[in-house]
Amino acid sequence: MGLREIIREVDLPHPPERVWTAFATSGDLAAWLMPNDFRPELGASFTFRADPAPGFDGIVHCEVLDFDPPRLWQVSWKAGKVDTVLTITLAPAPGGTRLRLSHAGFGVGTLLPRVVLGMGWTRLLRGKLMDLLTEEG
Amino acid sequence: MTQADSFKALADPTRRAILDRLRASPASVGDLTDGLPISQSAVSQQLGVLRAAGLVKQERDGQRRIYSVDGDGFAQVRDWITHYEAFWDEKLDDLAAHLAKGRN
Repeated sequence: MGLREIIREVDLPHPPERVWTAFATSGDLAAWLMPNDFRPELGASFTFRADPAPGFDGIVHCEVLDFDPPRLWQVSWKAGKVDTVLTITLAPAPGGTRLRLSHAGFGVGTLLPRVVLGMGWTRLLRGKLMDLLTEEG
Repeated sequence: MTQADSFKALADPTRRAILDRLRASPASVGDLTDGLPISQSAVSQQLGVLRAAGLVKQERDGQRRIYSVDGDGFAQVRDWITHYEAFWDEKLDDLAAHLAKGRN
């Protein structure tokens, strides 16, 4: 139904080794993503911290599933009842790096709306819903 | 109806099978039962759950009731995925800015 995976691809004007630094340490992840206690070890458990909301304690529980510099960064992503996997792959591209983000496993039986509200993401919605619905037909 | 209802309704494999069938074309309970390993009354029951969640709607065609997918219910499910998509769009912008900062 096209509901299970989010994919984004962006080209960045830096070599993969440099892009990788943004995923390599807790401090770098915090600088652009969210506060966290990430450790760059396979199997390590860590959390991202967002604002709590009803039904969501504000904590995203993660585990490092794959960590292969400067190519593959994969973590489980559990927030409230959402149980997903976030995968970042980096590949050399002309002029820099192609970053591919896959956020997968949006199965059903989740209560993501509350999670999303807790993260203050409603302001991000803008007109995207209509675009998306149109796209989906 | 809440979004939670939609997710709960979608969590069941039989109900997803019914939805897959209805996405292809509207159908009666009898049509649906032919393609599924469950009884007609079980199909009716699952249709009731799907209707309550706003995922399926019912129309009358003479004596028959014809069921079809209700776009409104799916719009809700899409809604929260869209939030996450917007989140990643913004975060990837932040990532690009973060990388640009330390460039020199």
